[in-house]
Amino acid sequence: MISTLAGIGRYGLWLRDLGRALLVHGMPKGQMMAEAFKIGIKSLPILLIIAAFVGTNLALQGYNAFKPLGGQRLVGMFVALAGVRELAPIIAAAMIAAKAGTEMASQIGVMKIREQVDALEVMAVNPLAYLVAPRMIGILLMLPALTVIAIFVMLSAAYAVCIYQLGMNGHEFIQFAQESIEPIDFFYGAVKAMFFGAIICTISCYFGFNCGKGPEGVGQATNRAVVTSSVICIVINYFVSELLYGGAF
Amino acid sequence: MLNAITALGRFGRFSAGIAARMVRRPFFYAEIMSQVWTTTTRCLLPVTAVTFPFGMVMALQGLEIFRLFGAERMLASLISIATLREISPVLASVLVAAQGGSSCAAALGAMRIKEEIDATEVMAVDALKFHAVPRVIALTIACPLLNIAGSVAGVAGGYVTAVFLKGEPGGIFLAELWSFMGPTDLYGGIVKTTVFGLVIGLISCYHGYRASGGAAGVGKAVNDTVVHSVVAFITLNYFLTSALFGAAGQ
Repeated sequence: MISTLAGIGRYGLWLRDLGRALLVHGMPKGQMMAEAFKIGIKSLPILLIIAAFVGTNLALQGYNAFKPLGGQRLVGMFVALAGVRELAPIIAAAMIAAKAGTEMASQIGVMKIREQVDALEVMAVNPLAYLVAPRMIGILLMLPALTVIAIFVMLSAAYAVCIYQLGMNGHEFIQFAQESIEPIDFFYGAVKAMFFGAIICTISCYFGFNCGKGPEGVGQATNRAVVTSSVICIVINYFVSELLYGGAF
Repeated sequence: MLNAITALGRFGRFSAGIAARMVRRPFFYAEIMSQVWTTTTRCLLPVTAVTFPFGMVMALQGLEIFRLFGAERMLASLISIATLREISPVLASVLVAAQGGSSCAAALGAMRIKEEIDATEVMAVDALKFHAVPRVIALTIACPLLNIAGSVAGVAGGYVTAVFLKGEPGGIFLAELWSFMGPTDLYGGIVKTTVFGLVIGLISCYHGYRASGGAAGVGKAVNDTVVHSVVAFITLNYFLTSALFGAAGQ
């Protein structure tokens, strides 16, 4: 318990250092696009597979849930609402945390162990600005785009299941889906994705920089990075949803 | 492409080796039990910390939809069915892959790098049997246990939002909780997570056991474990859902 609190405090201090480094040093220009490519394009195939299968399941379960009520037609609405508002941002964030986040943690951790981070400092390059800033920009650029792609793939997969496996009327599906979501929902999805991207990047890099000794240290840092960032993303998701859709605040 | 097929074949041989060692004596009961205990206790907090807020979000969004039809009392059955069938098995398995699977890959990878696995074999102990099999079995047992905890936490999260935050009547929530539930809903999640746990265990041990190239290799093994096992079990999930809950499109 105490060590958790101490960890949160250390993370806060690290964030302060990061902010200061970014303000003072600006960011290296060339690395940004390379990182964006690595985060976005390399994670895309996995994200496509996951989003497609989450969409198929959404359709199956929605169909099963609404069948006793005689409301199979509502499946389109259910899939659109659940997919666009909640699942697509969460799935994209979880996959990026698993793929790009773990990579960040393990790369930075290995650099730390091999004393390459110290070498950067010796060369008067601020490691926080040099290593974290491009990754941060890359993930902030990429995650909203990936979220929108995930929405599209999810809905297409759900549509395919509804038509070909469940034998529903395709026109009805599209009509109900269109009626239930609004363009602003896509924007909200992107806003959520930005939050998640910032969380994933800072937490993964934090664990990378605070990596323990040797191979176990790297393994542990990677492990903690993915668990912590996905848990925090889902917890934050509740508050963001409440803020955007709940109208409580 | 060819590499992927080769890796798949190697994974198949590895799994066959594990399966053969699972049924043959000697069984390392103490090792298995301690692995089950570590995995379950380590994953318990992440799993419940994820399904609880997700239940809250489901209540939040579900309430808004059901209000359109004036059917707020349906909320509880939606939450219980969605949690038990899909949300909890999938989220719990994601977290088991992220926490249990990756720490298993990290541990085996570090052993491989430090040549502890070779040392085990030099002492005439079957390394695969002693190090990998207990971990696979432990993940297979721990995953359904954690799913039960995740389901309870998810429904509790829904209850908290619906009753305490949004002021729905609590009695109706509890009364409607089981109204659309069938026996498949209760054991379906368990069956699914047992399969997912086995998949996670096999993939994480495979990557950990084959780690190479120093500390970076361990990092890569952990990374591959999480990504591959999540992709594998989400793909399997579709087929299991079709098989268990039936959707022939009558």
